Amino acid sequence: MPRKDNKAAELLQGTLDLLVLKAVSLGKMHGYGILLRIEQISGGGLIVEQGALYPALYRLERQGMLETEWGISDNNRKAKFYALTQQGRAQLKDEERSWIRLVDAIGTALKARPGEV
Amino acid sequence: MLRFFHWRSLFRRARFEGEMADEFAFHLQARTDDLIRGGVAPEEAERRARLEFGGNQRYRAECRESHRVHWLDEMGRHVRYAWRTLRKNPAFTAVAILSLALGIGINTFLFSVFNSLILKPLPIADPASVTFIESTAGTTFSFPDYKDFRDRNNTFSGLAGYRISVMNFEHGGDPSRMWCYLATGNYFDVLGVKPALGRFFHQADDLQPGASPYVVLSYATWQARFAGDPKTIGATVRINGHPYTVLGVASRGFHGTEMFYWPELWIPMMMQPQVEGHSWLDERATWDTELLGRLKPGANRSQAMADLNRIAGDLARQHPLSDKGLRMRLAEPGFLGSGIRGAVAAFTGGVFLLAGLVLLVACSNLGGLMLARVTDRQRELAIRYSIGAGRLRIVSQLLTEAFVLAFLGGASGCLLAIAACKLFSSWRAPVDFPVQLSVQPDWRALAFAAAASLLTGLLFGLGPALRSVRTDLNPLLKGSSGLAIFKTRFALRDLLLVAQVAFCFVLVFGCLLSLRGLQSAITLPLGFDPQNAVTAAVDLSSAGYSKEQGLLFQQRAAESLRALPGVGSVAYANSLPLSLDQSTTSVERAGQSDKIGRQRSRAIYYDVSPGLVAGMRMRLLEGRDFSDHDTEHSPPVAIVNQAFARQVLGTNNPVGQTFRYTPGSMPVEVIGMVADGKYISLTESPQPVVFRAMRQEYNPTTTFVLRSRDSSPALFAGIRQEIQKINPRLPVYGAGTLESILGFALFPMHAAAIALSAFGALALLLTVTGIYGLVDYSVARRTNEIGIRIAVGASALELLRLMLARLMVLVSTGLAFGVMLSWLAAPALGGIIYTTTPRDPAVMALVLLSLLAAALVSCWKPVLRGLRVNPVSALRCD
Repeated sequence: MPRKDNKAAELLQGTLDLLVLKAVSLGKMHGYGILLRIEQISGGGLIVEQGALYPALYRLERQGMLETEWGISDNNRKAKFYALTQQGRAQLKDEERSWIRLVDAIGTALKARPGEV
Repeated sequence: MLRFFHWRSLFRRARFEGEMADEFAFHLQARTDDLIRGGVAPEEAERRARLEFGGNQRYRAECRESHRVHWLDEMGRHVRYAWRTLRKNPAFTAVAILSLALGIGINTFLFSVFNSLILKPLPIADPASVTFIESTAGTTFSFPDYKDFRDRNNTFSGLAGYRISVMNFEHGGDPSRMWCYLATGNYFDVLGVKPALGRFFHQADDLQPGASPYVVLSYATWQARFAGDPKTIGATVRINGHPYTVLGVASRGFHGTEMFYWPELWIPMMMQPQVEGHSWLDERATWDTELLGRLKPGANRSQAMADLNRIAGDLARQHPLSDKGLRMRLAEPGFLGSGIRGAVAAFTGGVFLLAGLVLLVACSNLGGLMLARVTDRQRELAIRYSIGAGRLRIVSQLLTEAFVLAFLGGASGCLLAIAACKLFSSWRAPVDFPVQLSVQPDWRALAFAAAASLLTGLLFGLGPALRSVRTDLNPLLKGSSGLAIFKTRFALRDLLLVAQVAFCFVLVFGCLLSLRGLQSAITLPLGFDPQNAVTAAVDLSSAGYSKEQGLLFQQRAAESLRALPGVGSVAYANSLPLSLDQSTTSVERAGQSDKIGRQRSRAIYYDVSPGLVAGMRMRLLEGRDFSDHDTEHSPPVAIVNQAFARQVLGTNNPVGQTFRYTPGSMPVEVIGMVADGKYISLTESPQPVVFRAMRQEYNPTTTFVLRSRDSSPALFAGIRQEIQKINPRLPVYGAGTLESILGFALFPMHAAAIALSAFGALALLLTVTGIYGLVDYSVARRTNEIGIRIAVGASALELLRLMLARLMVLVSTGLAFGVMLSWLAAPALGGIIYTTTPRDPAVMALVLLSLLAAALVSCWKPVLRGLRVNPVSALRCD
């Protein structure tokens, strides 16, 4: 059922966006650094391929969540840095809240026992 | 424009691709470095990094996809941002939108007028091959000449003749006066138009005089008089008492070929004797037929003109008495020849030019305000630059602001223009003639408004936007208000203000000049006194009166009208000065040799009853008025005006002199001379005029002039009653005060005065806000400096000089340019508005003083604020 597939993809994409926003909120960072940070804060293994990060970054930039700027990386290389915009910060707060609500709801649902329904 | 965007998007794409490649390369390099640091061999590390990254090409494509709508999005963001910025300054936004709406609205409206009257082709088949034919002597030809042109030419597929005429129309016992086209049988076929109902008449219907009693109704007449009933076709109506059959109904959009005239009927030309009461169909001396031709495929205009002139040459040889010196010309159809069309085009063009000036003033005003805002936002912009916003982006942001304003102004301007067009189209001139100017805003007008908005946006937005790019960031970021930059930046604003003041001067000057002209036109010696007089007219030829019956009717009617309460005197004439209907006759001094082809003069003539000269309060300078003894049995006599005496007779004492109307006719003796007046327009120079005795030169068109202080509806009802007591089927028309005739003569001047006043007021308003903005801004910028100067003890006078010196230089420069421009433009203005002295120094001085006063008033408030600056707080801030 394609509808289900779509939903799954949407969820996955939304999750990645949330993680990217979260990672960038911790400080201005280039793409590779964002990847490392996501791996670090999520305990790793959330992303299948590293390249998949970039379409998400470009999309968030287009939506005005991120702004970019070329700068110099720690090891003295030219790199593109991402930072959260005002709008991105608000969006992150929103998504965090709704994520927690979702997790709570699913957690409650999963805790349900046969007798309670 | 297209090229520009293309080039920009190419440039953008190349940069995007390059940056993406760099970013991906950095990622791979960083990963490889990390792996090597983790102990992996360099080649292996590179391989693994690439593997972990995944499909490079695929992600590139996805990134492109993610970024695709970027610039559209950015534009959306720009617009939203612009909207927010504009909403933060409601006063500025309101002034900007209002001035743009007025500027663009006026221009779009005038363009619509110009478009509807001049640019838009007639609603006929292939309008490009239809041409109006005139001669150097006038726009009309005799009917026999028309037939010769029609039959002898080789370049026209059809040549139609027509004439605007009027008659009595009766249907269901309700007589009314209706205007028509008398048209030759081929008229509709030459124009290639189709009827809405029934059929038109054709050549075969129009062969013998009096043999084709047919009538074609206009769509409006069909709706108004026949309630749009399809059974109208074949119905019988009465025209001047004769039965006519309704053949068909013209389509709704077809009103003949004159832009200003909406006929109510079309009647075959062969019925002319019945419609007009006398026949000129066989007279070469009566030139009453307008000509319209359709060129043969392949024939061009110069060939057609040569062809017509060849025929004219033949006619001049065959009929030297009437056709000597005939030279043919072609003109665009729509205005009865090139004369009126040229005047209309010049007038609308002139007003259009002025409206363009108003829009320019609005642009320079907005440009100045925008520039001030850009300067105020310098710090914000500098910060945006320094955090890496592209200059292009900031320019496009500022331009977007200008375009948002221009769009809002243009849209409201369009609404204004549409409303103005509606108003203008519904206006009917106060004359007995179906004058109708239909001005519809069509796609051309909308395109014009869009182009005007775009252009104004570019005009007032581009300067400030580009100016923002050429900014040195450092002093701004350091927090200085940058006096050094401020000075150079001021140059463009200076220029704008000077231009604005100069244009404003021209507009206000034109406005005052026209008002003064109007005032002097009203007090102009008209040659008669329009006050306390009323008029009413009947057309006896349409009612089928013979000359004897007509003369009798005129006398009887005048007698019964004289008996009406409150009426002092009654006289009548075929037409009155300054009314729409003026006729001329050829005249020549008697005693000169009757050599053919000698230059003859033309004079306006009026056929009048005894007492008309006194009734109109004309000044009889010499001799006597007509009396009841000047009849068809006594020698012909005439009264002339001063211009006639001077120009035709070459004397200042014409009484007793004689002249002739046509070579070989009876000499006419001058019995009196009246003072010159105005006859066709208020702006004319003295015209030769001859008054003839009605009994000697019978004219069935009869306009009664009644001296009466009363002009109530009761009086007009009484007039109608008295006339219909004599003939109940005779329609009375043209009832009104004599002053209302002046309304028509004054109309072009009224229109010009209204337009110029509106423009002048608008320009003045814009300039005042412009000066206010400039001074307010400059005082605000220099609060610092003013504070220091006050602190070190500068006097109020010195402060005033500090704040106003520059402004005064700018305003005076602008005024000087304004005087120069007005001086140059004055002759052109003089063509539109009535004035004897287009370069009136008094008006110039008045404008100069009032603009100076306006400048002082508009900078009053900011200057007061400057004088009250508290040095302590001024130095602390910033």
